[in-house]
Formats: sequence, structure tokens, C-alpha cells
Amino acid sequence: MKMKKFLNDPNTLTAEMLEGLALAHGNIVDVLPGNLVVSKALKDADRVTIVTLGGTGHEPALSGFVGDGMLDIAVAGDVFAAPNPQSCFEAIKLADKGKGVLFLVLNHAGDMLTGNMTMKMCKQAGLNVRKVVTQEDISNAPRSNADDRRGLAGAVPLYHIAAAAAKEGRSLDEVADLSQRYADSMATIAVAVRCATHPASGASFGDLGDEDMEIGMGQHGEGGGGRQPMKTARETIAIMANALVKDIPLQKGDRAFVMVNGSGATTLMEQLILYKDCVRYLESLGIEVVANMVGEILTVQEQAGFQLNIAKWNDEFLRFWNTPARTIAFNK
Amino acid sequence: MTVTLRQMKQMLLGGADCVISARDELTDIDSRFGDADHGITMEKIMTALKNAVRSFGEDGTIKDLMSGISMAVMTINGGSAVPLWTTLFDGLAEGAPDRIEMSEEEFRSMFRSGYETLFEISRAKKGDKTMMDALEPAVDALCAAAGGLADMIKASAGAAEAGARETANFAARFGRAKNYGERSIGTPDAGAMSMGYFFQGLAEGLDRDQ
Repeated sequence: MKMKKFLNDPNTLTAEMLEGLALAHGNIVDVLPGNLVVSKALKDADRVTIVTLGGTGHEPALSGFVGDGMLDIAVAGDVFAAPNPQSCFEAIKLADKGKGVLFLVLNHAGDMLTGNMTMKMCKQAGLNVRKVVTQEDISNAPRSNADDRRGLAGAVPLYHIAAAAAKEGRSLDEVADLSQRYADSMATIAVAVRCATHPASGASFGDLGDEDMEIGMGQHGEGGGGRQPMKTARETIAIMANALVKDIPLQKGDRAFVMVNGSGATTLMEQLILYKDCVRYLESLGIEVVANMVGEILTVQEQAGFQLNIAKWNDEFLRFWNTPARTIAFNK
Repeated sequence: MTVTLRQMKQMLLGGADCVISARDELTDIDSRFGDADHGITMEKIMTALKNAVRSFGEDGTIKDLMSGISMAVMTINGGSAVPLWTTLFDGLAEGAPDRIEMSEEEFRSMFRSGYETLFEISRAKKGDKTMMDALEPAVDALCAAAGGLADMIKASAGAAEAGARETANFAARFGRAKNYGERSIGTPDAGAMSMGYFFQGLAEGLDRDQ
């Protein structure tokens, strides 16, 4: 089947997207060679700075969260593919303002290989860098085997919390330890009802038919969860939120952050219905939702479905969250 | 008998061409349990390799050639294949002599070093359904083969291809495909297939040279 996407050339998707990003948001970011999306706020930064890496095709993530109060630099790879270690090394060098750099990596095979190689180069160059990995997808491994858990959209609120701590003057170790605590406090599960196609090759990531959904699809339709007949929003939330509450774990009296992340072709109407159902579900367990993100945060092209992320929050996370941010896709 | 820089370049160009010509097949395999881009990525990596070989200066050594390829691959954006192939060529550079020719024994230890360096970061063993399923038997065969360079390379190409095809019998334990586990049985590993084609192409490149 022919792809119905507005594209020019499969070989220049990332370059054209980044050119558009720079044109549309030139007041917030610069796009530098090596696919470095750099915050304008980096120039005058006198604090710990934050760098991340990741493939494209997930817009607004990750480049959309570059700006004041979130990421200082996002290194973009190619479609669904990690950037090269050299660009990440250059980004960390550029970001380093003498207070050290927090390097956030989502747990995916390519990102991790690039991340590890980058850290090796940074060590050789004597740079002060701490790497924190987010790995919160509960669908394919238990918490005790976190290395097999993929990093999903739960990393995005962490960008703001870590940046707020850095802005307050916290040291690299303090910011990195806080980030690790945040990473450990959250869990995500994804569901897909219709798969995306790769915008360069046109190949589909799978076929869920007309009547099925799959819980535990990961980020690119990796599979690993339960395929089952389509259910209502309320029933789907009950399955997913229940699994997350058990995993974190959350108890009566706890406070929570909830994210409903549309994966590309699930409408905002559906996302808001799902968010409402999640808040009500948690209320019924005596869990209070104190903050949220609802919208398209980390998409997978035109995949229909969503990621549900829940985190256990405390006063510290909430205080950092309630600070200003001015980025391409997140403002507070 | 020695292996010359010129022969090495011909082999590498042959390897790259063979992988590039399998582009669509590699992407098709990858679309079943990966993200449908392995052929595209390998084409980028192998094009960078070819450019590095073609633009290689007159006064460089075999070690320089391998380092140059490693550096060229490192600057591409192509997901996990990029750091993996960068590391393979890093390892080949580490094991290569700083001269324009080498003995067959040095040729063997160069590939041994490539394999060992890659294993350090990939940690994948035979049967894990990765590129190592083709690389490991290829290097073993290359080290075990009697006769000259052509025999060594032919033996390694056959072993790499067999190793790659055998991955169809395994369940994935690494990378994106591992989430499909048993469901991946029946489909070979795209990374093993591209490694198989690479060794097959090394042999073709040597033939072309002679």
C-alpha cells in the first residue's frame, strides 16, 4: 500500500524536520550541525546542564522539550534510530558550563550503545558527566529486572524536575540522584490499536486487525504484551492503571502524577476521556492525582493508542514541577 | 604469503557492495520484528565505509584504514548498528599492524581482535540471534582454515552465511526483537544476515582483485 504521508524524500526526513523546527521555534532553540537541538537558555547558564539523545519520528519528543526549564540539548538521530556517539560527545562538551552535565538516556538498545560509548569518550576527555537511564515500561520485565524495561514517555516530566533542581543551584550529584529517584518512582504501559508505518521505508510495524488492541506495545510496536479485543476507555484504564499501581507500588493516601500520552492517531477527546477515567480510578483507591500531562508528548507517527505513565510524587517533585518552563512543546 | 593494503581495500569494497545490494531484503526482514530500517541503515554505514576506503591516503597503513572506517561510521546516525560497526572496526584497527602489509597470522589476529572488542560491548553469544551469530563462526573459520588468504576468506564467508541462516531457529534475546521472544523463531536476524553478506562480499572483493 502506498504511504499517504506528506513527505519529500525518505533520505532527508530528519534534516527537513529539524530545518522546520528551527524555522518555527527559532526564538527557543538553535539547530546546530550533528543534529544538535540547543536551547537559547544554554548561553547564559551557570548551572548543571541537561543533555539527552534519541531517534526522530516521535515528535514533539525529544527536541520539543528543549528550552528554558527542561533540556539544554537534545541530540537527534534518524527516524527511530539513535544518533551517533560523536554528536552526543560534542553536545555534552558544548553543554558543559563547568558545573557538570546530566546525560539522560532512554533504555533502548541503540540509545544505550550510543550512550555507553559517549560516556567512554567523555571519561577519556575528563568531562564531568552523570548518566541516568529511564526504564519504566512494565510490559516486558519485572521491576527486579529493570535492564529489560524500555524507556517510554515517563522521561519527559523528569526533564522539568531535573532542570528545576539544576536552576536552584543543586550539584550534578544532587541532580543526578534526584533524577534516579524520579526514574525509580514511575512506571508506564502502552496500548496500541493501530500500528504506524515507517516514514522512510513505508513498512508497517504490524497489523492489529479491525477488532484488537495490544497492551504492552512499547514505543515502536515491539510487542510483548497482551493482544485482546478492543475495550472501552474505562475498562482499558482499569487494566493498565491497575498494573502500574501494583508495580510502583501506590497505596491509599499516596499522591500521583498521571500522563496520558497519545501516540499519534488517538484524538485529544479520547485522551481526555482516558485521563478522567484514570483520575477516577485512582480516586477509588484513595490515591490523589496532583499533577498531569495530557496530550501528544512522545508519538510514534500515526500509531493509534496511548501510553499511560503514573509516578509516585512527593513534596520535592511537586515543588520542582511547579516552576516555570518555556520550551517548544511544554510551557508552565 | 602476505595480505596487502590493496587487497584489504578490495575486500572491504566488495563487502560493502554485497551488503548494499541486499538492502531491500534486510529491511524486509527487519520489518517483521524490528523497525523496518536495517537495510537503510546498513546502506548508510557501508556507503561511509566505501567513501573512507576510496579517499584513503597513499601513505596510510592497514591500521589507519581500519581506524578511518571506524571514525567514518561513527558520525552516521543509524541506531544500534552504528556503535556496533564502529566498535568492530575499532577492534580491527587495534589488532591490525601499522604497516601496508601483514602476514596471514596477523590477518587472523586482526579479525580475532575485531570479534573480541565487539563482544565486550555487545555481550551477545552464539544463539542469541544477533550479528554475533554470523561474526563468531566467520572468525573461527578464518582462524582454523588451512591454505592461503583466498581459502581463509572463503571459509569465513561460508561460515558467516550458515551462521546467519541458522538464526531463524533461535528466539531473540537482544535488541528490539527480544520482546517478541519465541515469536521471532522462523525469521532470521537482520543483523546476522547483513554480517553474513559482508563476509560473502569480502570474498567477492578478493576475487575481483585477482
